[in-house]
Amino acid sequence: MHNHKLTECANRGRSSRAPAVVTERDTVENALSELWLWLAVTLGELFDPSGVAVVGASKTEGKIGYEAMANAATFDGPVYPVNPSTEGELFGREFVPSVTEIDGEVDLALCCVPGPAVPDVLEECGEAGIGAAVIYASGFAEAGGEGEALQEAAVEVADAYDISLLGPNTSGFIVPSLDLRCSFASGAEKVPEGNIAVVAQSGGVGLVLAFQSRRQGRGVSAEVGLGNRANVGFAEAVEYFDSDEKTDAIVLHIEGTDDGRQLLEACRESETPVVAYKVGQSDVGDFAESHTGALTGDHELYTAGFEQYGTPTVDATDDLLDAAAALGTAPEPDGPNVGVVTAQAGPGIIITDRIQRAGGRLPELTAETQSRVDEILPGITYADNPVDTGRPMPAFGEVVTAVAEDDRIDIVLVYELFEESIGFPIDALEGLASRVDKPVLFATEGIEEDLSAARSKLEAIGVPTFPTPERAADAAGTLARYARLYAEETTVTDGGGDDNGGHDRTVTDVGGDTTGVADDA
Amino acid sequence: MREPDPIASARADGRRTLTEAEGKELLASVGIDTPPFSVCEDAEAAVDAAAAIGYPVVVKVASTAVTHKSDWAGGVGVAVGLDSADAVRDAASAIASAAEERGIDADVLVESAMDTERGTEVIVGGLRDPSFGPVVLTGLGGVFTEVFEDTSHRIAPVDHAEARSAVEDLQAIELLRGYRGAEPADVDALAAAIAAVGDLVVEHPIAELDVNPVLARTDGVMALDALVVLEDH
Repeated sequence: MHNHKLTECANRGRSSRAPAVVTERDTVENALSELWLWLAVTLGELFDPSGVAVVGASKTEGKIGYEAMANAATFDGPVYPVNPSTEGELFGREFVPSVTEIDGEVDLALCCVPGPAVPDVLEECGEAGIGAAVIYASGFAEAGGEGEALQEAAVEVADAYDISLLGPNTSGFIVPSLDLRCSFASGAEKVPEGNIAVVAQSGGVGLVLAFQSRRQGRGVSAEVGLGNRANVGFAEAVEYFDSDEKTDAIVLHIEGTDDGRQLLEACRESETPVVAYKVGQSDVGDFAESHTGALTGDHELYTAGFEQYGTPTVDATDDLLDAAAALGTAPEPDGPNVGVVTAQAGPGIIITDRIQRAGGRLPELTAETQSRVDEILPGITYADNPVDTGRPMPAFGEVVTAVAEDDRIDIVLVYELFEESIGFPIDALEGLASRVDKPVLFATEGIEEDLSAARSKLEAIGVPTFPTPERAADAAGTLARYARLYAEETTVTDGGGDDNGGHDRTVTDVGGDTTGVADDA
Repeated sequence: MREPDPIASARADGRRTLTEAEGKELLASVGIDTPPFSVCEDAEAAVDAAAAIGYPVVVKVASTAVTHKSDWAGGVGVAVGLDSADAVRDAASAIASAAEERGIDADVLVESAMDTERGTEVIVGGLRDPSFGPVVLTGLGGVFTEVFEDTSHRIAPVDHAEARSAVEDLQAIELLRGYRGAEPADVDALAAAIAAVGDLVVEHPIAELDVNPVLARTDGVMALDALVVLEDH
């Protein structure tokens, strides 16, 4: 179901669910869609630049202008250290006194200058035709008072020259596939390439997620710290990474935004699955007069809003990456029905208990599947859902295949302790998910050194793996909720106004185009 | 856009808060039923109105100076279950004297008493959130609203199915489905009221809106009170 990107361009700019009442907002929404289209183009200068200028580059180790240059220098396009008071080279690149004097392609400026210098630097960037800038400095809107005025001044210049601003008050961003590391963080060069775009309100949390994804052996298509979101916010980032071919899932870390509705609409418009983690069960607004005001907090609105707009939410950084691995690697599920195959009863019980709490369902397998399993393993410990084979065995892969081909199953979750003499059922799992068009998740445990090569092989054939039964169950639960929200999105339509119907995504092949279920039995 | 009369008249008076009568007119204009009521200037007019409406009735203070009627003046602001002319006269007089003591203008609102035992009290609310814009709230209503905080939220506008799902998200859904042999509530009518409240906030300059309680009965829903606060100009 990942061919959705082919139709995406045709659908861009359509508001998928107009309000029941046609208001002036329809016009505004259309205008916003147009704006997003435009931003998706210009954010290319930010996340996929021709060349990079490091303004305020410094030869002094430990200074932000040095660290940012050290990371930026790995980019295989042109990188220019810019500093009027420094000459010579830094990381093999010649210093330039001003961005206006750069001779060559440059789309992006990394502003390693103190806050008060930012508007002037942006002015020069505008003159130089630079379309994007990262502002690392803090002391802007987050500081209030003069900082707010400073941010307004920066945005004013940026608007005048059509410059996309990432930040201020951010650690920047990383795009491993381009060796583009516009971050001053230590270790940025070791964040591996993957297919998950991390979009975090906090630059610190962005890095937490990027490093965590490395530890999990996954990696990111991009890690972005939005910071103060001067003119590049969640909606713009979601829109951009939705159209990014290297991104198969988008994860959001949110503390709070001024335009929650715009964020929800961007998530709903996104063809690429989005998972959100809203932090902070903050206080309710200062509505004094009504019960409604007293009972309506920020957190309730984010949670309810994401659900209403078809975006699953989670409550931990690990869950965010697990859910994205499941949604981004495997085919999208058509429903919430999970089939569990386990080689050990105990972990299987943890999984089945947990999946139901996480939002999944465990249907009974069809009689055909049950007899098929019984034929593979006569006298099997437990032939219904979960299927418990009792121990790892050569026929384990056949059992997984039988469950995956069951029409009642939308999501397959396998648990197996690593058994060195048998290994994982690689042959059975290779191509299985795409053949049955269902996600197949795999959780395992064992001696790390012994199993890591086999696990990498699973990842390499597109089977997302999980280190604990709980995390696999939670990921399956999120898939189930996603399928459910997604189905609601496609069937619930508003009263009127939009002939384009429901969500741009369509649910296809309910029941799956599984083949040979009965024949193979 | 020309605002509906209840909003226009509040604006003309320079008020942000609609009276209960204006609030109920606004609800009635979008198809949400309210009990028959009459706003009266004095106790005798209240007695006449009660006779016309039919006993039992409820008598409430009607003043732009009073928002939370049942908390006002030691509880004389709302008198329920009145089934005689004397009872109505006493309740209306108590409101008049309390208003005089406090130096405010107040009328009395006489309204047909609804049997709250025959139904479940629900709150339906709307507000304009700074980040999300118009939103609707559905919850267990009446005196339990803030005790149990059994609520669900939606971003407005909502269609009928979304409004139904807001009701189904409540723990109180079991009560609405007819707990222990009680008659089930008309969840479709409740969903229609939720959608209508959402549309009101979308279409008009409303900052906050409480319909609490909405009495959800087998044969429809009825708004027993309404608080509407407009946005600042």
